[in-house]
Amino acid sequence: MDRLAKGEIDLMPDVAYTADREKIYSFHKVPVLSSWSQVYARKGGGIKSILDLGGKRIAVLESSVQQEAFVRLADGFGLHTTIVSAPDFRTTFEMVARDEADAAIANNFFGLMNAKKFGLEDTAVVFFPSTLFFAAPKRASKGLLLTIDSHLLDLKKDPQSVYYGSLKRWTSEEVRFKFPAWLQILGLVVGVVLLMSLAASFVLKHQVNARTLELRQINQEMEHRIVERTAELAAAMEKAQSADRIKSAFLATMSHELRTPLNSIIGFTGIMLQGLAGSLNEEQHKQMAMVQSSARHLLTLISDVLDISKIEAGQLALSVTSFALRPSVEKMVNLISPLAEKKGLELKLDIADDVKTVTTDQRRLEQVILNLLNNAIKFTEKGQVRISCRTEDDHCLLSVADTGIGMHPKEIDHIFQPFHQIDSGLTRKYEGTGLGLSISKKLLEMMKGTIHVESQWGQGSIFTIRFPKNTGGLP
Amino acid sequence: MKETLLIIEDNEQNLYLMCFLLEKSGFAVLSATNGRDGIKMALHHKPRAILLDIQLPEMDGYAVAAELKKHGELAGVPIIAVTSYAMMGDREKALAAGANGYIEKPIDPETFVGEVEKYL
Repeated sequence: MDRLAKGEIDLMPDVAYTADREKIYSFHKVPVLSSWSQVYARKGGGIKSILDLGGKRIAVLESSVQQEAFVRLADGFGLHTTIVSAPDFRTTFEMVARDEADAAIANNFFGLMNAKKFGLEDTAVVFFPSTLFFAAPKRASKGLLLTIDSHLLDLKKDPQSVYYGSLKRWTSEEVRFKFPAWLQILGLVVGVVLLMSLAASFVLKHQVNARTLELRQINQEMEHRIVERTAELAAAMEKAQSADRIKSAFLATMSHELRTPLNSIIGFTGIMLQGLAGSLNEEQHKQMAMVQSSARHLLTLISDVLDISKIEAGQLALSVTSFALRPSVEKMVNLISPLAEKKGLELKLDIADDVKTVTTDQRRLEQVILNLLNNAIKFTEKGQVRISCRTEDDHCLLSVADTGIGMHPKEIDHIFQPFHQIDSGLTRKYEGTGLGLSISKKLLEMMKGTIHVESQWGQGSIFTIRFPKNTGGLP
Repeated sequence: MKETLLIIEDNEQNLYLMCFLLEKSGFAVLSATNGRDGIKMALHHKPRAILLDIQLPEMDGYAVAAELKKHGELAGVPIIAVTSYAMMGDREKALAAGANGYIEKPIDPETFVGEVEKYL
């Protein structure tokens, strides 16, 4: 300090500021460190507070500010102590370690760094807080001190600076970084967001788990229901099939029962018309003929219902024989010709020469042909019905073309469905069961054949059947 | 001498119809309304032919035909099945049971007698 005062040293660090020193030295403005003096004693030495220092030897830096301050402090407490001078802090600690003193006074930075090495510990006796500065001789230039100030200011602003680094090294104390406000807010926000998202993810995970469980339960329930429903459906199906069989059996029986009384109606009207039971007058004959016609029509209806119910019940079997197709077709045409004649329609028959023997169900084939001829005549008011028959490879083709009312395209889709009629309602012009074509189609399918129709509204229709020459199944 | 025919038929109207037509044509007609009576009458009267309805109460036409065929004394008596079934199976079953032919219902008064005479 003297050498500094004399100007032999230009700058001295860690000089505690006092008003007296201000008179001798120059100080800069920004404090380097805040410091205080503290009493250090041997570990377990029993010195805890200032009162324990009474009658003790205290090692103090020779003629230092600490000594003056301590003496004043001790006097204030009315304590008598022996002051042992030392040239530096290290010596004060060594003296305590060698038991040449009971306690040492040092600044807290030195104590913090060295107390342990000397087996000393800090006590609660803390005094003389001071701020440390660089000190320069009074006559030195102010520029140096101003530069120190500006550097210190900069260093203190930056938590990563050498200043704090050194401080940390000396004190082993974690320096609390001073984050800029925006960074703190940002950190806080990010933290909150992270926490919230963590919480949200927990909640979400929980919800997902709950939902998954729920879905699994629903799934199981659905599976259970499907199994149940399948069983129900199978039962319903079985019931429906059984109901269907009962229906078909009922229709078959019913048809049979209806035919029995029809037998006698048709039979007796026939007898009366023949005059076998005595002659009828003209009116009686006309009316009997109407009874017979209606009875025959009723018989056809019943036969159709019987046929379709047997087909649907799978009870209809083909009776396959070999026969000549030409006379068979001719027979059907002859059968229908009185009807055509009555309506003034021309019947044209064209059978190719290669049409010979076929092996199929003659009666059912004839039924189909008759049905087509009947329809053609029923729906034609003038013109002709043309029947042509030819072979194509191992199939026979027979077509019935008329010049009748024809059909709309959308009607064609339905004509092969059972009970389809050309016009429904009470004022139906054309009588029938609506079963003829449906039966024909099914019979042809049984014969491994097909039925096809081309029609134009108002122009007429062409029905073509195609069936194998040999249906197979001939015993 | 008139030829005797036996009709086994349970339906009164149909029986009457057939009797009427056949008698008009000069046949003597016997009738039974069930299979057992019919067999008894057949054995007793030995008719020229037997018209047999298939749908009969208790003992059906197939059984009656089979029973009649067991009796040697009726060997030359044709059995004509009268069936109202339009099913193929029934005709074949009737023939298999011993019937010599069949006439399908509903009978046509104009052709019925002629069809019966084919089997005589």
